[in-house]
Amino acid sequence: MEKLKELVDRAVSRRKFVVGAGAVAGATAALTITGCGGGSSSNPTPTPTPTPVTPTPTDNDVLNYALNLEYLEAQYYLYAATGAGLAAADISAGASSSFTKVGTVTTGNAAMVSGTTPAQQQIINEIAFEERAHVRFLRTALGANAVPMPDIDLSFFGPLAVAAGITTASAPAFNPFASFDDFLVGAFIFEDVGVTAYSGAAGLISAAGVAAGLLTAASGILAVEAYHAGYVRTALTGRAIAAGSTAAYPYLPAANKVEALRAMLTVGDTAAPSTSGSVETLLTLPANITTPSAIVAADPTNAVGFARTPNQVHHIVYGSATVGVGSGGFFPSGTNSIFATTTA
Amino acid sequence: MANQETQFLDDVIVKSRRKMLSLGLSSLAGAAGGALTGALAPAAQAATFTDADILNFALNLEYLEANFYYLAAFGTTIDVANAMSTAAGALTIKLTGTVGTPGTVTGGSMVPFSTTEVASYAIETAIEEGKHVNLLLGALKTAAVAQPAINLGTSFQTLATAAGVPNGSTFSPYTSDQTFLVGAYVFEDVGVTAYHGAASLLTTPSNLTVAAGILAVEAYHAGLIRTTINDLDPTGATIAAYTNNISTLRATLSQAGLLGAAPSPFDTNPDDFGLADFQVTLGASATTSTRITDADGTNAIAFARNTTQVLNIVTGGGAVGGGKVVSPAVGVFFPAGLNAGPNGFR
Repeated sequence: MEKLKELVDRAVSRRKFVVGAGAVAGATAALTITGCGGGSSSNPTPTPTPTPVTPTPTDNDVLNYALNLEYLEAQYYLYAATGAGLAAADISAGASSSFTKVGTVTTGNAAMVSGTTPAQQQIINEIAFEERAHVRFLRTALGANAVPMPDIDLSFFGPLAVAAGITTASAPAFNPFASFDDFLVGAFIFEDVGVTAYSGAAGLISAAGVAAGLLTAASGILAVEAYHAGYVRTALTGRAIAAGSTAAYPYLPAANKVEALRAMLTVGDTAAPSTSGSVETLLTLPANITTPSAIVAADPTNAVGFARTPNQVHHIVYGSATVGVGSGGFFPSGTNSIFATTTA
Repeated sequence: MANQETQFLDDVIVKSRRKMLSLGLSSLAGAAGGALTGALAPAAQAATFTDADILNFALNLEYLEANFYYLAAFGTTIDVANAMSTAAGALTIKLTGTVGTPGTVTGGSMVPFSTTEVASYAIETAIEEGKHVNLLLGALKTAAVAQPAINLGTSFQTLATAAGVPNGSTFSPYTSDQTFLVGAYVFEDVGVTAYHGAASLLTTPSNLTVAAGILAVEAYHAGLIRTTINDLDPTGATIAAYTNNISTLRATLSQAGLLGAAPSPFDTNPDDFGLADFQVTLGASATTSTRITDADGTNAIAFARNTTQVLNIVTGGGAVGGGKVVSPAVGVFFPAGLNAGPNGFR
């Protein structure tokens, strides 16, 4: 815990990396984070697409896109809760899936989160349970068309934290399993993204899919992701208030650095967090009982939550703003999805 | 982005009367004033209503929520600025809605907050709910309903008593951080279920994006409130225990308002859970889980409610009687009922 605090303090000088819309825009085009995981992630082979075409997704494509993201979330939370990931029965390929290879998890530091109180353990249990329920729900809904879990690299938190300016490359890698506060920062990486992903996917569902209840399912899962995001943002804010300052609680600024990175990777909508047009709302430390918090991530004019396209979400989970990339970051072999290759 | 979103909603309003929706909800049809047709829904009754009717229903709920939070955070209603609301940057809402009967807001006062945590959450939520009112008013323009009569005083005592909250007959959400959170709890999960139920009625992607975005914000709020109650009462001795009472009452009222098929195939009975821990099996054996998320225990999909179910909750059972829809639903927070257009939901 103390380690991260020191690292954050040291990283303050690197904040130029993430503040200032101009600097951000300049950095975006070249930004690609290289994973350091072992196994299949050691030599990812991007698949270039000379003329990116917008795929016309079927409902199964949309659900499978969501399933890839849920595999990632479920693995993170299950490792955090129990020290083990999804069971084999929860990651297999449907009989009719065009993707047949069942991936593996590069675990990195993945383990039960250290030093949690019983109350903290119970919230990790809840999120793990609910994300696994989403995996199982989507697999059941897709039936034979369910894609298997792709390769997942849980060691990517390290390079991601370096890219965000939370740590430096020479420092020990950021480990979201090291403490409850580190876990919150790790969870923060996913939750707002999950909300925006389901928001962006809801409109892709066909009329037949709407009639079949898929929109209801998607919006219901969207709400659950927002409950989780509300939890994570409330916990980070509350713990910062209790600590008294962001210097005493560097996890809040760390989360904001994650936001700045996500904003840069949201290709097509890369405005800095909490600026006009951005799809990110920075956490704040309320000064006293007359100032508002910033728990909700929503546009400042209408308080409507954000949406991201599948492509924007892929840029984030690959840790790459580059167009034509087919893998990287948390998905060292790419997602098992028609959206797997990034576009502009 | 703001303009874009407003445009989405404008599109909703100017759309000609939408095609008949096959809802499978006799209750909705009844609530819509008996304008029934089965033309496109051979297996179920269908209701004729405009997208404006859906948004006006949401606007009534936002009037309720926004006034509660403005009163609690600033000590004023949404249409009257004071030093607190101005300092916080909260909108002063011009009540431009004219459809229906305008009413007054009674009850409510500024909470003497003792912690930055809860106070800052109240202020943030007030600001955001005010923006939702403003967004819907701006989108609906002359079709917007007036703010109905809203009771934010004795209504809480009525509900708390019905829920079995200890000393419910004297319960006030305006006395402390703790009681404020309980008051907020009454609303937030309901907002989630209402927007969730409404989202599936909006079929064009751009409109859906806005509805989904507001749904997300309501769920952020709900997550915030539930998290904070859980933190302040981890053993479930006081306010966390009250959430179980309230959720049970909401589920009972919701079930009574469900006269046809459920709005979501993933709904269960009960369709509401308080903060009581539950057991989950993640590894070899069962372990304890919090219940920050208000969702079903199998698929972890948040609940949806149709308009009659929501009406029955916010009027304390006023939407159904003798197994039939009562319209207008009157009671508790809405002593004169909601405002709506001719085929709207009230």
